[in-house]
Amino acid sequence: MRFFDKKSAATDQPHNQAEEDRPIHQALAQNIEEVKRSFPAAPDLTIFQFDTAPHGTPGALVFLDGLSDKNSLNSHILRPLMYGTQEVQKDISLPTISGCRILTTWSDVENAILQGESLLFLDGQQEVTAYDTKGWPQRGIEDPQLESSLKGGHQGFVETGMQNISLIRRYIPNLNLRISEQKIGRRGKTNVWILYLEDIAHPEVLQELETRLSKVDVDAVINTGELAEFIEDNPFSPFPQFIMTERPDSAASQLLAGRFVVIVDRSPSVIIAPATFTSFLQSVDDYSTRWLVTSFIRLLRFIALFIALLLPATYIAFISYNYEVIPIQLFLSVAESRARVPFPPLIEALMMEIMIEMMREAGIRLPAPVGQTIGIVGGIVVGQAAVQAGIVSNIMVIVVASTAIASFIFPSYDMGTAVRLLRFPMMLMASLFGIVGIVIGCMTLVGHLVALESLGTPYGSPLAPLRLVDMKDTFVRLPLWTMFRRPTSTRPIQKIRMRRERPRGDQR
Amino acid sequence: MRTYAMNEITLMQYILLVHGAQVGTGILSLPRQLAETSGTDGWMCIIIAWAINCLAGTLMLLSARKYPDFTIIDLFNYLFGKWFGKLLIFPLICYFGFFGIDIMTNTMLYIKAWFLPKTPEYVIILLFAIPSFLIVRNGLRIQARYVVLSFFMMLWMPFFLLFSMDSWNVLHLLPLFKEGWGPVIQGVPKTIFAYTGIEVVFFIYPFLQKKQYAIHGFLIGNSLTMLYYLYVTLVSFLFFTPDGITSVNQPVLSLLKNIEFRFLERFDMIFLSLYLFVVSKCWMIFIYCTVYSTSRLLNKQDHTSHAALYFLLAIAVIYVVKPTWNIADEWQTTLSYLGTVVLYVLPVGLYLYIRGFERFHRVKTR
Repeated sequence: MRFFDKKSAATDQPHNQAEEDRPIHQALAQNIEEVKRSFPAAPDLTIFQFDTAPHGTPGALVFLDGLSDKNSLNSHILRPLMYGTQEVQKDISLPTISGCRILTTWSDVENAILQGESLLFLDGQQEVTAYDTKGWPQRGIEDPQLESSLKGGHQGFVETGMQNISLIRRYIPNLNLRISEQKIGRRGKTNVWILYLEDIAHPEVLQELETRLSKVDVDAVINTGELAEFIEDNPFSPFPQFIMTERPDSAASQLLAGRFVVIVDRSPSVIIAPATFTSFLQSVDDYSTRWLVTSFIRLLRFIALFIALLLPATYIAFISYNYEVIPIQLFLSVAESRARVPFPPLIEALMMEIMIEMMREAGIRLPAPVGQTIGIVGGIVVGQAAVQAGIVSNIMVIVVASTAIASFIFPSYDMGTAVRLLRFPMMLMASLFGIVGIVIGCMTLVGHLVALESLGTPYGSPLAPLRLVDMKDTFVRLPLWTMFRRPTSTRPIQKIRMRRERPRGDQR
Repeated sequence: MRTYAMNEITLMQYILLVHGAQVGTGILSLPRQLAETSGTDGWMCIIIAWAINCLAGTLMLLSARKYPDFTIIDLFNYLFGKWFGKLLIFPLICYFGFFGIDIMTNTMLYIKAWFLPKTPEYVIILLFAIPSFLIVRNGLRIQARYVVLSFFMMLWMPFFLLFSMDSWNVLHLLPLFKEGWGPVIQGVPKTIFAYTGIEVVFFIYPFLQKKQYAIHGFLIGNSLTMLYYLYVTLVSFLFFTPDGITSVNQPVLSLLKNIEFRFLERFDMIFLSLYLFVVSKCWMIFIYCTVYSTSRLLNKQDHTSHAALYFLLAIAVIYVVKPTWNIADEWQTTLSYLGTVVLYVLPVGLYLYIRGFERFHRVKTR
């Protein structure tokens, strides 16, 4: 019998925690001693001792000061406990608070205190009542800075996971919205929630996501980005393999498309998976603007993708290798502006590109009022002064400026940075092999994109594999009533999302 | 036996794989070769060769259809026994491997002549090897995705030739059958190299999702190639004078050279460099078939190491041989002969063997 006991204890708990599975003591004083011993050097631990109404049993309320909501603690727990109410249960009058559970082991007690619950110890009882008084400093709901939208909602996710869930629930009040919870991190014990629509999302993808999350074994997950890095398919790819957003509306629309949303507690951005390459070029505003306008903007983004990726490389190739491609008039004016420049095109381009990247990075750190000034100063230095000093050519400034603007068009910051980074190898290839180098670079990229997967679903969809149905919402956006199917790239199990009710032809 | 459930390909991918394996560098010089033997009637050779190839491919699929889940290696193992089958399949794999190197070499020579005259040959092959390795090391499904994507990306290319319409002259083609059927028939063997590629159906057939459309798909793919060749050849014949076309090495490129825009001179440079996407489809599938087969022969699940080895070997070969146009021509002639065997003799032989084999087996089991 002993043997069995030992075995079950060993399987339930990791080795050194078996001791913490001890039961609560009977005597109050002993319990208080125990709590004090478990939390050494914790000035924020408060132990409030009092006699409970109506029978005067000695009790103690234990909580962490900054993590609990003082208001509800004082008026809804302490007041009924000390002065009594009509309702009496187990010798004490019942506190008027909804969240309440019974704990019996010390490990539970310690966890509950650390999570911000307040615990009631009673003399002569071997169980502890934990009241949900969690409350910590919180930020108000704001418009997300990184992905501001013109017409969408102006609420962004916050650092409390539960609030983020409720923000999404407001968009999808549906029973099929399922939430599965996991805890990640040995120390951090971060709550991670996977949200999905049961009748749309593909169960295989869910299983894949859950296995990957459960395999993460780290100290703590501080941010969503960290978690994404642990569970992504190809860690060596320059491309982001999950969409990360701070917008509840975009998260909700992705849920409806059959994707999964992973909310990480204490982090304001959520992971949306599986992602496709083209989904990084779409934004929520696309669906609230008129479709012709949106289509135009979408095409602009694709053009910008090529400009941001290839323009400096093309410049280098045309100037140093394949000058016969440019018409003679243009070539003369390029030559004229380059006459004073002593550097080869690659050095010239690299210098300017690195300068621009530094200005961008510095802009993030600088406080807002200084930032603008520095931006203007930097712009003048990089532009006019550098040309006049004969360090770079005029054309190069145009190239760098257009590239910089083009790289900021992407709605996704992650994709923007990926493209900005990829520009440098392209420039190198162009300076080594000219146009052929660029084409080989593109081929490598295409090959990589084709082979890349996000949660086991193809990343290149709907381009590779080709999904003609999804083309309605890729390069252009057709009117919403034509897109009566959900995007096939997420492999939804419920394919139709609306009925075609629009009168056609003579029905009007 | 179905070890490739994860790598099934759709009908469209299958069609474009066949088409992609056929269209390579052959097209660039095909109009000249045809004009040399059959004059401006040469375009008829393409149609005749198309008909023959359709028959050959159908025969291949008819024999493959009996064993829908067998790759060519399993098939040979089954038909000829373990060791003899391996012995027989080995030349075929060598043919595929050689073909891959030859297409890369041809492309390399074009790139070297038009863009990088001073770059060593093996460096250009190394350039090709980087993206190719990234794709070839994956399963057939990834090859198929790449092929479909690059097919649609480069769909505008044939239409670009229409810019030369101003200088077309229909009289170049007339009269038909200037010298009777003789020269037309003589030109047919010239197209073999351009049409090779249908033999990949041996390899990709077992991966096809809807096997009942295998023959239809093959016919569509082959016809697509035929239309493509016919179109390009006709445009070249219309553009160049009947005598002039034999004096240029690659009529298609010379034709493109004449197309100019106000904002972009020499668009042919960009055209040719982007044509790499089209040619890469061709060498990639051949190399994939090679390394997939060798790794299967050696009972390896993963063919990444074989792919890496193949590219290293290709670079080494090019480094040692330092191919020129003449060597490439020799290779191409050799491959045309080998291609005749693989394209026409092998399917007929295999088909007859399978018929006999089955009858023999039936007698035995009875």
